[in-house]
Parts: sequence; structure tokens; C-alpha cells
Amino acid sequence: MTTIERNYSVGRPMREPLFSIVLDKLQRVYQPGEALRGEYQIDAIDPSDLRAVELSVLWYSEGKGEEDLAVHYFERLTAENDEPPTLHELHRFEVTLPNSPLSYEGVFIKIRWCVRLRVFLRQGKDFVSERDFQLGEVPFAQPVQP
Amino acid sequence: MAGRSFRMYGKKRGNRRTGSKALASVGEAVAFLFFLVLGTWFMVLLVRMPVLPEWRANHDFVETTGVVKSVKVGQPFDGNQTGYRAEVQIEYVADGQTRRHWTYDISFDTPWAYSSDRDGQQALTDRFELGKIYPCWFDPRNPDTVVVSRGYSGWLWSLLVLPASFILIGGGGLIYAVLQWGKSAERLAAQAQLADRLEQFDDSTAGAKDFPNVPRDANLTNSPGTRLKYRLPIITTYGWRLAAVTLLALVWNGIVVALMVMAVRRAIEGRTDVWLFVLIVPFLAGGLWLIYFLVRQVVIASGVGPTQLEVSDHPLFPGRHYDLLLSQAGRLTMKSLIVDLVCEEQATFRQGTDTRTHNCRVYQKRVFDRQEFDIPQGLAFQQQCRIEIPAEAMHSFRADHNEVQWKFVVRGEAGGWPPFERSFPIVVYPKPAGGRRL
Repeated sequence: MTTIERNYSVGRPMREPLFSIVLDKLQRVYQPGEALRGEYQIDAIDPSDLRAVELSVLWYSEGKGEEDLAVHYFERLTAENDEPPTLHELHRFEVTLPNSPLSYEGVFIKIRWCVRLRVFLRQGKDFVSERDFQLGEVPFAQPVQP
Repeated sequence: MAGRSFRMYGKKRGNRRTGSKALASVGEAVAFLFFLVLGTWFMVLLVRMPVLPEWRANHDFVETTGVVKSVKVGQPFDGNQTGYRAEVQIEYVADGQTRRHWTYDISFDTPWAYSSDRDGQQALTDRFELGKIYPCWFDPRNPDTVVVSRGYSGWLWSLLVLPASFILIGGGGLIYAVLQWGKSAERLAAQAQLADRLEQFDDSTAGAKDFPNVPRDANLTNSPGTRLKYRLPIITTYGWRLAAVTLLALVWNGIVVALMVMAVRRAIEGRTDVWLFVLIVPFLAGGLWLIYFLVRQVVIASGVGPTQLEVSDHPLFPGRHYDLLLSQAGRLTMKSLIVDLVCEEQATFRQGTDTRTHNCRVYQKRVFDRQEFDIPQGLAFQQQCRIEIPAEAMHSFRADHNEVQWKFVVRGEAGGWPPFERSFPIVVYPKPAGGRRL
């Protein structure tokens, strides 16, 4: 799982939240139409510092071309009327995966699926964490000479 | 946990693009703000200086009559300015007081009252005769401002289009930038996709709703085949190439003809220009070569008969078998005719100010190959074969910058003709989940 601090401040150490995204399958290989189940939790942060949490199930492209990105499932939870604060608590999700696009490891194009969690703090900073998974089982592509 | 440093500019580094999205958003907003401010400033300037006074002269000014005392075509006192303007001295009564002023229209005291067309200005003054009474209009706020001619300057009002477009682009862009401000890439993508889904609401085709990012096959299944279910359309850039060559040949040879006419005319007049003839020679050679090339392209296009492919079903699915019918017309002695099933990746990316597209072939299987045979006049060569889409194949995929394309590529070589290649796109869907029939 990767976590990236998107906003970087110089000379002021920032306490970074800890993320936990757990998917129901250990191998994290899913088939089209299958349900993706999981849970997430945010820790090591004062719950009242959380402004919003966004959970997305998405694919993005990597490779030679510009990045393409499409969101299959999106959920935004905000701290408004959240008394006492619950954004940091364990949340479960279940998403039925689409038929396409399948995960792909091509030569110029790679299609990656992931569950992405983005946390917005009251100070304006946001942190991102991803848990990748595989949709379908398309083998690696190799270049061939025309 | 890894911190990401603040980057002033973006660049594509291998598989990722560097740079600060926040800074890019600020830059975008500043650029749109600049357009908005510039457009507003120009608009205010135009409205205050020429537009509003002209509008007031036509709507607010009080009509009266006056006696023309003097008429002339004037020139500016300022030595830096040149031009002519119509000047009419009129005596009129406003607010119970008799006034006498030099005037013409509302732009009389502005620099753009002067024109280089002296005769035109003279014609304007010729309409007025000394001592006669003419209608005139004065400003109720300042009765000393008077005009003897009203109307709208078309050019002035059309000039408003320029600041209006700046305001529109700047304002619209700024609103867009503000609406996007602080929103994550996922949230923006989800919002954009919601709009797309609403557009697809009435779309009954399976590809659009059930198979995201798989291209639709509507254009591939709207032509029935003669023996199999569908006749596949051909991808061709040939027509565009032929049109471009034709245009180039016409323009080039048009210039050559113009030069030749000029050279011959001078020679007839006894002013033979040898260097002009020398200049024409390479141009003429280039023009003749273009005509030869164009004729050759036309002959190739019409000489090698049409290629057709028919397929027993569409869309295609991995692991399934299909029938394919190849049809090649034209009286040809074929050295070879082959059909390949091909999958290519296509990536589009920016390099500086250019947008580039690169292709990479990731699958190729020969499904038909025949050497040395004749196609008789009036009888198309037809051959049916069985093809299989590989069981683990990646499906067809299309996004804004990346694409996975499946197609049949027909390549032929006929005696006396250059080799030809024709492509027929197909759509491969993902393998049906759980073996369900689609």
C-alpha cells in the first residue's frame, strides 16, 4: 500500500495519518461482475482534524501515453454534522466490479485498478493511500514485429 | 510514507507526469483572470469612449434645427496627426440661448474623426448649404455638444466582439477553475463520468453501458455481408492522401503556369528574362513529377480492386471461433495475399507543444496466406477461413489517450503493382464472466 502526502510544507513537521485498507481476498484478484469487499480505517490522527474522506474504486493508465483515469465507485464522507467524529473509524465497503476495462500489463499501456483513500485535513492538506488489485487475468503483453 | 516535493513545472518522466497540480490550477486561474481583466478593461474603454456617446447621440440628444454658417473639410492642428474631417458650423438655440459650434457627428472631437479619404469627407460637407436650416441634435446635459449627423458606426460595434470574447473566455475559465479548486482528481472524474452516464441513459447498446471503455461496434455491424453476417468496414487514409497530393499538384503547377506565362509574355515583348526561364526549369520538373505521382496513385487505387472481409459474428470474444470471408476483386496476378489478426496498443502523449501517437503491435497471427495465383477479370477471389480470438486476449479498449485496437490486416502483392495493405477494425469484448452468453 502506498501513501503520498500531496501537500508539502517546508520547516513544519506534519503528523501524518496512518491508513489501513484491507480487501477481502488475499491475492487481490477479482473477476468482472464480482463483489469487491473491504474495509478502511484512519489512525494516528486527532479525529477532529479530519475534514473529509474520499473512497474511490478506480482504474488509471500508466505507460507511454498521458494518464487516463476513470472512477467506478466514489464515496465522500465529510465531517459536517459528524458529532462525535466518526470519519476515522472502521468503514466497510462493497462494490460490484465492472466488466471492463480489465487490468492490463502492456508494452505502452498499463491499466491498474485500485481502491484509493484520500483524507482531507482541516488545515487544507490531503493524504492519499492506495490498495491495488487485479481485475481479470489478462497475461502480460509482449511486442511483436509486424 | 513518502513526501512529495513541490515542483514548479511539469514534465513527462517515463510513465508519470511530474509537477504540482495546485500550481497548475493557480496558473490556469491567473491566465483566465488576465483574460477577464484585459477584456473588461478594453470593454470599459470602448463603451466609455466611442460606444456610449454614440448611443446617447442617437437616443438622448434633443432634436432641434439650426442654420449652417460655415462648411469646410478640416485638418488636424496637431502636426503628428494626418487626415481630413467634415466640419459644419451651425447656429442653434438650446435652453433659450443661441449657440454656434463647429461639429459634424459625435466623434467630431476624437482622433478617429479624421479619415485619409478627403473626397469622402468633402462629399459629406457638400450636403450642407450655407444659410439653410438643417436638423441638429444637442446633449440635454451639455447643450454646447451638438451634432448634425447621427447613426451607428458598424466597425465600432463589431469591435465589441473582441473584448466580449475575452470576457467570455476569461470569465468562463475562471468559474471553471474555481469550481475545480480543491477537488480531488477522483471527485472531478466521478462528476465528469456522471454526466457521461446520463448521456448514455438512452443508449441501449451493451458496449456503452455494460462494457466501459470498450469501443462501440455499431459502425461495424451496420453492413450485412453476402455470405457471412457482417461486412467489415475498411480503415483507409488513402482518400486523404490522394486529396492532399491532388491539391499540392494543382497549387504547384498553377505557380509553374503563372511563371511560364510571365516568362513567355516578356519574351514576346522583347524583354527575354533568361534567369526566369532558368528558375522555371526545376519548378517544372517538380510539377511534372507530382503529376506522374498523382496519376500513379489514382491507377493504384483504381487498378487493384476492392478488398472485402466478412465475419460470422460481431463483437468477437476471446476463446471463440469465427468464420472469415476474404474477397479480392480486380484482374490481378497475385504474388501473395495474406490476412493477419492483429492487436496494437496506441498511446497518445504530449511532447513539448506536439501531440504524438505511438503504436506497438502486441499480437499478430496469420489467418490466411496464399501465394502465386490469378484473379480473373470479373470474378472476385473468395476464400473462407476459420479464426480464433486467443482465449487470454486483452479486449479492445479506448480512453482519451490510450487505446488497444484489434483488426484484420490484409496485405497483397500483385504483378506490376506496388504492395498494398488494407486494415479492417474489429471489437473484441472481454471474456464473458461465468461463461454467460452475451
